Amino acid sequence: MKALALALRSHAFLLWEQWPKSSGHLLVGLTLALVTLPQAVAFSVTLAGVPPHFGIYAAIWGVLFCALLNPSPVFQGGPNTAMSAAMGVILLPTSAPFGTEYMGLALTLGLMCGLIQLLFWLIRPLGRMLDLISEPVINGMICGIGLFLIFRSLTTFGGLPVNTEVEWPLWIAWQSFLAILEIGNLHAIEIGLITLITCAVLQQFDRLRNWAILIGVAAGTLYSQYLNATLGLQNTLVEEIGNLSSIRVVSPSLPLFTQEAVPDVIAIVPGAVTLALLGLFQTVAAMRRMSRKAGGFTDSRKAIFADAVSNCLLPFLSSLPTCASFNRMWLVHKLGIHSRITIASSAIILLLLVLFFAKVIAIIPMPAMAAVIMLLGANMLNWEDIKPHLKNRREAVVFTASFLSVLFLDLFGAVIVGSVLAIAYSKWEQVNPNVSLRGNVLKIRGNIYYGSLPVIESMYHRAISRLEDVIIDFSECYYIDEEGIRWLAALKAGQKAAFVDRRSGRDRRDDEATETPGSGERRGESRRRRKQDRRRRTDI
Amino acid sequence: MPKPAAKLAKIALPALVLGGLYLVAIQEHVQREHIRDAAVALTPRCIEKLEGYALAPGKRYESPYVLQRTGARIALRGYSEEDVRAIQRGCNIVDDTQGRFAQDPYAERWNAKRFLRGSHAACSNCHRGIGDRHDAAGNRPQGSLHLGASWVMGDMYDRFTGLLLPYEFRQFQCYMNASNGYKPNIADDVIRDVTAYTRFLSAAVDMKIANHYEEQGIDEIAASATLKQGDDYVRGEWLYKQKCQQCHGPQAFGQEVSGRLVAPALAGRNAWNLQSRNNFYFVSTILAGFICRNMPPGRENTLDNQECRDLAFYISNLPRPAGDKQGPLVAVQQQLLMAVMPPLLRLGASSKTPGPLSRGNGE
Repeated sequence: MKALALALRSHAFLLWEQWPKSSGHLLVGLTLALVTLPQAVAFSVTLAGVPPHFGIYAAIWGVLFCALLNPSPVFQGGPNTAMSAAMGVILLPTSAPFGTEYMGLALTLGLMCGLIQLLFWLIRPLGRMLDLISEPVINGMICGIGLFLIFRSLTTFGGLPVNTEVEWPLWIAWQSFLAILEIGNLHAIEIGLITLITCAVLQQFDRLRNWAILIGVAAGTLYSQYLNATLGLQNTLVEEIGNLSSIRVVSPSLPLFTQEAVPDVIAIVPGAVTLALLGLFQTVAAMRRMSRKAGGFTDSRKAIFADAVSNCLLPFLSSLPTCASFNRMWLVHKLGIHSRITIASSAIILLLLVLFFAKVIAIIPMPAMAAVIMLLGANMLNWEDIKPHLKNRREAVVFTASFLSVLFLDLFGAVIVGSVLAIAYSKWEQVNPNVSLRGNVLKIRGNIYYGSLPVIESMYHRAISRLEDVIIDFSECYYIDEEGIRWLAALKAGQKAAFVDRRSGRDRRDDEATETPGSGERRGESRRRRKQDRRRRTDI
Repeated sequence: MPKPAAKLAKIALPALVLGGLYLVAIQEHVQREHIRDAAVALTPRCIEKLEGYALAPGKRYESPYVLQRTGARIALRGYSEEDVRAIQRGCNIVDDTQGRFAQDPYAERWNAKRFLRGSHAACSNCHRGIGDRHDAAGNRPQGSLHLGASWVMGDMYDRFTGLLLPYEFRQFQCYMNASNGYKPNIADDVIRDVTAYTRFLSAAVDMKIANHYEEQGIDEIAASATLKQGDDYVRGEWLYKQKCQQCHGPQAFGQEVSGRLVAPALAGRNAWNLQSRNNFYFVSTILAGFICRNMPPGRENTLDNQECRDLAFYISNLPRPAGDKQGPLVAVQQQLLMAVMPPLLRLGASSKTPGPLSRGNGE
C-alpha cells in the first residue's frame, strides 16, 4: 500500500509538471476525443458485444487513469481493438451478447485481466518476460489481428446479423463475404462503402488524416439519415447505435460473481490470461516504440502498473479494459505535443461530448462503425512494418508463424505460439555461436553454454582430428556458463589445446582500435605484441 | 512512382475494387430475387407431404390432418404465394439437403450443400419423414425429432449449453455438429425457408407455442432406464453387425447406390463430429434414444434400452471428425484415425475367425 501511495504521489507530481503552457493542448485534446469516440463505440458494439457506453467509459476513465498513473508523455490508454475482439471471442460461448449475464461476465473478465496484470507488476521477473517478446512476434500478431478485425466486421458492414458460436474464423469470413454479396442489406453496404471510401481518400492528405475517421463517420451518418428520410426506417432496416441517454458522469457496476456464474467464470480464466497478456504485450511494445520515436524512455514496469490498476478499477465503472493504442499514440506523436495533460483533457472533453451530444451519437449507423473498424484493421497491416522482417529468414519465419497463428488458432493460441517463438528465437541465437577455424585457431564468438557446446565441440573435434596444435580463441565470448567452464577446464586438463585468454584478446582489440593507416611504427608494435601474445598463450 | 500518382493509385484501386464488389452484390441480389419469385419443383416426397396438408395460397388455412384427427375445423391465417414458395423450398431442403434431386442445387436448394461436409449429411437423416414422421395409423411417434414440435419449443433455454437459443441457432448446431459443416448466416434463405417449413408443419398438425410434445426431440435413454449392466463395446459391435451393418456397411461408412443414399454414414468423414450431441461421450442418452425410437426402419421400438445404449456406445467409439471447438490437435488426431483405422480393420477382418461371443450369443 505504501508503494502504491508513493507511486501515485510521484505520478501526480509529474502530471503537474507537465501542465500545458498553451491552449494548443486543448485543441489536440479535442482532436483525440473526436478520434477516440467512434472507435470506442465501434469496439464495444461490433467487437466486444457490449453496449456502446462500455467503450465510451473506457475512452474516458481508461484514458484518465492511464494518464494519471503512467508517467510517459506519449502513452494513451483506452479501448483497444485486439482486446475488444478477444473479449467477444472469449465470451461468445458463455452467453448471448448484450445480455445481462454477458455484460456481467465482461466486467468479471476485465477484473480478472487487471488482477493478472497486477501479478506481472508485483512479480518482477514475470514483467521482464514481456521484454523477451521480439518485434517480429508482436508485428506478426498485430497484422493477424488487423486482418481478423476486417473479417470480424464483415457481417455488420453488410447489415447482417453477427454469426455467433465458435467456428474457424477464416471460414466464417469467407461465408460472411458470400452472404454480403448474396443477402446483405444493400442500404447498409452503401453506408459502409461511403464511410470507407471517404476515410480512405482523406487519409491520403496529411492535413486531413487525423480527421478522416470523424468525417467518414459523419458522411455515413448523413447518408443514412437521407435514406431514412426518403425510404423510411422500416424499409432501410439499418441498425444504429441507439439511445445513449443513460450515460452519466459515473455509472457504477459490479462484476458477476454469483454462484450460478461460477462455471462460466472458471471457463473464462484462460481467456482472462490471454486478455491480460494481449494488453501487456501491446502496452510494452507501444511504449518501447513510441518512447524511442519521441526521444525518451519510460520503464515498462510503470506502464504495466498503470494498465493493471486501471483494469482493476474499470470493471466497477461499466467499462471495457484498457491498454495502449498504437494508432492513437501515433496520432499524439504526429500532433507533436507530448503531454499527459493533453491526453487527460481528451478524456474530459469526451465526457462532455457524450453528456451533451448523446442524441447525435445515437444515430450513427452500425455499418459506418464497421467500416471504421475495417479501416483500422487495414492500417494495422502496414507494409513498412512488415518489410524489414521479411529480409531476414529467421525473422520472416517468426513473423509469419505469429501472423498465421492468429488466423488459424485462436488468440490464446497465438499468444502461446508468439511467446514460444520469441523464446525459441532468442535461444536459437544463443545456441548458434559464430565458430570459425582459421589455420589452427578455433575462434568462438557469442556464448559458450550448454546449448551452444555441441556446435563448438563438433568443430573442435574436427579440428583436432586434422591439426596437432589447436588454439582456442574465446576472447570475443561475452558469456560462458558453468558447463562451458567445465568443458574448457577439461580441455586444459587434457592438454589438448591452447587458449587465447581474454586479456590478450582485449589488448589485441585495443591495438586494432588505435591502429591508423599509415602508422607503420604502430603496426610494427602491434605485430610485436601479437607475437608476444602467441608466445604467452602456450603458458596458459 | 511520383507521389501524387501513388496517392491517386491508393485511392482509385480500393475504390474500384469496392465498386466492383458492390456491382457483384447487386447482381447476386437480383438473381436471388428471381429464385424467390420462381415456381418450385418439389421432390416426390414433398409433393406427397404438402398435398397431404393441402398447402395452397389463400386467406385462410385449414389443415385436413387436424380435421381428420380431431373433427374440428381450425381456421388459421392463410399463406401468400411467397409464403408457399418458401415452405416448398424449405421442404425440399429438409428432404434433399444435398440437392441430389435438383437440376440446379444453387437455385433450388440455395446451395445448402456448401454448409455441409461430406456427401451424406441431410436434415431428414435424423428428422425422419421430412421432419414429420407418421406411423401407419397417422400418429406422430414419440422421439421422432418432429420439426414442427421443434419450432414451437424453440427459443427456449437449452439445457446442455444453458443458453437461450433461438430456433435459428438450433439449426446452426445441426449444420456445425450433426452435419460436421458450417453455419449459414441467420438471415440466409436456407435458414429462413427451413424455418418457414417447420412453422407450417406446426400449424398443419396443430401444435401450439411453448407446449411440450412427445415427438419433439429424442426420447432419451439414460443408464437408469436399463438393468445397469454397463454400456458394452463388444455387445454393441455384435449388435451392430446383426442389426445395422446390412445398411450402414461393415465400418459404418454408410451406403450409396447409383448416387442415391441408402443409409448415411455413422462414422468417418461423412458422419457427425465429436461435438455433436449424438456422440455418446458428449451426451450419452441421445443416440441411444434415437436408435430405439427410429431404428431399424420399419422395425422401430424393437431394440431394448440396453441394446440401444450398447449400440450408441460402439458407434461413438468409431473414428469421426473433430468439432471446431476442439482445436487443431484433436482434428489432426481424428483425421489420422480416420485414415489409418479403416485399412487396419479391413486387414484384421479378413484374417479373423468368428469369436466365441459372436457364436455364443448368436440367437
